[in-house]
Amino acid sequence: MGIEAALLLALQAIFSGILVGGVYGILSVGLSLAFGVMRIVNFAHGELVMYGMFAGVVASKTFGIDPLLILPLSFLFTALVGMVQYRVVFRHFVGHATLNQLLAAIGCALVLQMIAQLIFGADARTATSVFTGQYTVLGPFFLSQAQIVAFAIAVAATLAVEVLLRTSTWGKAVRAVADDLEAAEIVGVNSSRINVAAFALAAGLAGLAGTVLVTYFPTTPSVGFQLMPIIIIATTIGGLGSIGGTFLGGICCGIIQQITAMMWTSALQDVPLYVLLLLFIAFRPTGFFGSRVE
Amino acid sequence: MMSAPATAANAPPLGKEGYGQLHSLLFLLVPAIVVAALPLMPFVNNYIIAAVVRALIFIALGQAWNVVAGIGGQLSLGHGVFLGIGCYTTGILFNRYGVPPWLGMWVGVLLSFVVALVMGAMTLRMRGVFFALATVSISLAMVQISRHFVDLTGGGDGLALKFFGDSLWAWQSRTPAPFLYAGLMLVMLYYGVTRWILVSRFGLEMQAVRDDEVAAAASGVAVFRTKIMGFVVSAMMTAVAGTLYIQFYMAIDPDAAFGLSQAIQLQLPALLGGLGTATGPIIGGAIMIFLSEVTNWGSTKLGVEGLDILVYGLMLLVVVLRAPKGVVGLLPRALQRGMR
Repeated sequence: MGIEAALLLALQAIFSGILVGGVYGILSVGLSLAFGVMRIVNFAHGELVMYGMFAGVVASKTFGIDPLLILPLSFLFTALVGMVQYRVVFRHFVGHATLNQLLAAIGCALVLQMIAQLIFGADARTATSVFTGQYTVLGPFFLSQAQIVAFAIAVAATLAVEVLLRTSTWGKAVRAVADDLEAAEIVGVNSSRINVAAFALAAGLAGLAGTVLVTYFPTTPSVGFQLMPIIIIATTIGGLGSIGGTFLGGICCGIIQQITAMMWTSALQDVPLYVLLLLFIAFRPTGFFGSRVE
Repeated sequence: MMSAPATAANAPPLGKEGYGQLHSLLFLLVPAIVVAALPLMPFVNNYIIAAVVRALIFIALGQAWNVVAGIGGQLSLGHGVFLGIGCYTTGILFNRYGVPPWLGMWVGVLLSFVVALVMGAMTLRMRGVFFALATVSISLAMVQISRHFVDLTGGGDGLALKFFGDSLWAWQSRTPAPFLYAGLMLVMLYYGVTRWILVSRFGLEMQAVRDDEVAAAASGVAVFRTKIMGFVVSAMMTAVAGTLYIQFYMAIDPDAAFGLSQAIQLQLPALLGGLGTATGPIIGGAIMIFLSEVTNWGSTKLGVEGLDILVYGLMLLVVVLRAPKGVVGLLPRALQRGMR
């Protein structure tokens, strides 16, 4: 194999890594948001993604609607699930990423997973959008259209959240609560209302990401546990609490995964990521862009 | 916050303590005798005995996890690594080289000692949630690694022990009764070990670190070394229980050893029963397996799968939100004293 061919292969891996990684990014942004505002590590975040994926399956298989058309609906649906989750479980743990909070989140994850399994069964399900299975040949590169569209939506959604948090009054209130809850309360921010809304936004993003993902990745009730390691790694690398950082962390994960799969074997594509996670937790727990870690 | 049972420092005076010990002796001796006599009882078939063996295995695993998580306060989600080391070491040595499990077990213990040292040195400086995330990521990496090296581990299909029929040498049996006694002995041994750790200097230091790291360090406890020792002891205990696991189930696969669901099942006995108590994992493990038997029976009746996982999730939520000290914490104080 000549140098040119090897270079092309590497570039192909990097391109598809960026596309896959963008979706990892949007999968992780919600987790990062919930942690940044409330110090909640929602281990059941992957299950919210799973509900978004099943929303896509139901739209596609039951009603024959393109999953990409129901994005707002799946956002609202998982936001609602997230609100219930918050009311029942996480409001007890706001402010401290304690171990009990992690255990409660794992309990949540199991319950949500099994409810889905009782409804949909344990088999893998797919959904088809108009882009599913279509490929674009771009010069020497071969790219999946579903992944390109998913990437574009992921970028758009992440930008929208960033803009919302940075410019709107509500976003300012959210950031105020994240920075200093008591000070925010003193200047008249209703922190409990902000927390519910922020948690719902985080959950809604998970659902949206799931519906996008299901256009090229099959779902099962336990898909959340499959995705959760990547989500945690992307968030930790990028920086817990930083939206843009988390998105870039996702892209890093995608690239590393694809390059490992190309140069070594796809069976071990996640192993370098786990090593990276350990290194980050040990030496830079705030990630690239995170600010504070408790 | 982890539950903080009475430490020896604020234990009641000796007279009451003696009373408590009589209690605990009765509480544990009676069930132990009942379990030991199970095979002799009428209406008790192999199905019931096998369920009790499963309970004993998970109790032992829970007792091992309880040392690092309950007494030491380090919530390891990576103990599947040591369960896997126990299972795979014994299994691979037996299948490939004909090494009997009673020797292979010690190789597994040695291996998990080394791995726990390295893993602990890497992760135990991290705090709380980050320690949990780091340990679970190591365990999940092991899922992929053990799937990949098919020659050694049998890959995703897992590893099945070669069957020799009834054999004392291979620790194999067609009936579950021998495992009942092996499991019972292991659980009683671990109960004794836990009681000893709770009152030993080592255990007191672990509890001090759990309750307040800074204060412990200020009082002269070598925090990091104490954490590592707790982690290593717990890992070796897990590996021994792992040998019993594979001898009874006769097979192991990457998800059953290192997967996330298994990591959760490893911690349920201690969480349910009462973290940091010697009796907790016993009560919790018994409840866990009893409920899983009931829900499995219900699952087949109703034709749906996964009810047991749903129940595990609900139990986890209820315990964390409503009873952070587990079942032991719900009992009257006089009883709790004996169950420490």
